[in-house]
Amino acid sequence: MSVFDGLKFRKVSSPIHNLDPRIKFIYVCAVFVAAILFGEILPLAALFLMQIPFVLIADVPKEWLHSLRGAAFLATFIFLINIATSFFTSNYVLTTAAVENAAALTLRFIVLVEAFSVFFLTTSPDHLGLALEESRVPYEFAFAFTTAVRFVPVLAEEAHTIMDAQKARGLELEKGSFMKRIRNYIPILIPLIVSAIRRSLELAEAMESRAWGATKKRTNLYSLNLHKGDFILLAITVTVLAVAIYVRLYVPMPTLTQLIRM
Amino acid sequence: MAIIETKNLTYIYPGVANPSIKDVSIKVERGEFVLITGPSGCGKTTLCRCFNGLIPHFYQGELKGEITVVGMDPTKYHTHEMAKRVGMVFQNPENQLFALTIEKDVAFGLENLGVPREEIRKRVDWALMQTGIYDLRERSPHEVSGGQQQRVAIAAVLAMKPEIIVLDEPTSFLDPLSAEKIFEVIHELNKKLGITVVLVEHRLDLTARYADHIIIMDEGRVRFDGSPREILSTEETRLIGVGIPKATLLYQLLKKEGIKLGNSTPLSSEELAALLLEVLKSA
Repeated sequence: MSVFDGLKFRKVSSPIHNLDPRIKFIYVCAVFVAAILFGEILPLAALFLMQIPFVLIADVPKEWLHSLRGAAFLATFIFLINIATSFFTSNYVLTTAAVENAAALTLRFIVLVEAFSVFFLTTSPDHLGLALEESRVPYEFAFAFTTAVRFVPVLAEEAHTIMDAQKARGLELEKGSFMKRIRNYIPILIPLIVSAIRRSLELAEAMESRAWGATKKRTNLYSLNLHKGDFILLAITVTVLAVAIYVRLYVPMPTLTQLIRM
Repeated sequence: MAIIETKNLTYIYPGVANPSIKDVSIKVERGEFVLITGPSGCGKTTLCRCFNGLIPHFYQGELKGEITVVGMDPTKYHTHEMAKRVGMVFQNPENQLFALTIEKDVAFGLENLGVPREEIRKRVDWALMQTGIYDLRERSPHEVSGGQQQRVAIAAVLAMKPEIIVLDEPTSFLDPLSAEKIFEVIHELNKKLGITVVLVEHRLDLTARYADHIIIMDEGRVRFDGSPREILSTEETRLIGVGIPKATLLYQLLKKEGIKLGNSTPLSSEELAALLLEVLKSA
């Protein structure tokens, strides 16, 4: 069940994990905006490198590389499409400037993926649910989110049990054509769905018995408080945004090709 | 005054022809440890659902007769009103825990009630201590064993400081040793904190010794209602399909053969051993 292993939630602690998820989200948005502002390779490379200290402090380099590898296919696709368009629109000549431009756009995509993956890799679902609640998202949604995360491993285990049971009765999952193989999964999906519905009824009953919906003003065991680290991150965020806007407006940005010629 | 009292309670689930419980009239006194047992499908679970208003609010259907729990009529109050007074623990521990950490789960009911944060913290820690799972508080519910999960569920209702705790076959997913530990925890709550306990259970071997009062149901009706020693010593009880304690059974078999071991029916191996020792020593 290696596919589901990645979804299992573990409590990890690092200076980055402990940051307020709201501030982290604002930071990611700032990186997002900065990446959109620039089409040149130099500032985008700077943005890319800026995320690496976060990855190292949070101690998630393996997972981070994994998510980048996941983005590689789409990145290659973006690169090739850009090259192809410039090749066909400029009378079938390929200039270095065009290649650089395509590379910059690809890098922009990678920066976006990188920033979001750092956010999700370092924010526990618990924290995320809490952030949703404190950002005045209706509690039902925040609850649905954390419950979904809570039940992923449970349902995964159940799917495994059903698969074993059906295999024991002679179901062959890996046999036949593509369509046949998809159809093989029906005897697994149906019991899984039925049991999930039954489970949800039991859950609802347990929720009712624990005073669900007793008051509109729900309280929370945990609270999100801003610490020193959060203010530092907030300062970094503001600086990134300010520098990005200033450079965009007042500093002419050379491309890599121009730099090499000088 | 009785803390739970029903008079001719009859209930039919929606879309079902026959009532699941028929003419149930029982009385539970404050501070009692009540054991409800009987063969599967005899209406034990249905009766429990009436105590906090899940029936009729959650299940709809048709409820007739009278019911009073902690001086209130559960049919007239919201389930969340009743939940403050009647805690429910269900069969499957996995399906009654929602949160990503154990302490957050124990806090769930209090958060719903809008209790201030400091008070939640105090009560959560207290409930975790009482059930002996304080050290696990930061773990995720799916990481701990079934017995520990069930203790989390008990802590979660305990934190709401209910007057009654109703447990519907809390150990059917557990091994005998974890089950025994759960019963010990429940017994402590009953003795130390004076919480009224209603326990639905098949394993009388492990629970009969704690009960002050036992109710045996069959086909939706109450068949026997009274003190455990009296009821478990009758032949009919065994014939209904109640798994009476081995010690009680042995006592009965010996009695049939004319060997009498004292006047009180034993409910546990320890009690039977004491009786046997007495006879063997005097012989």
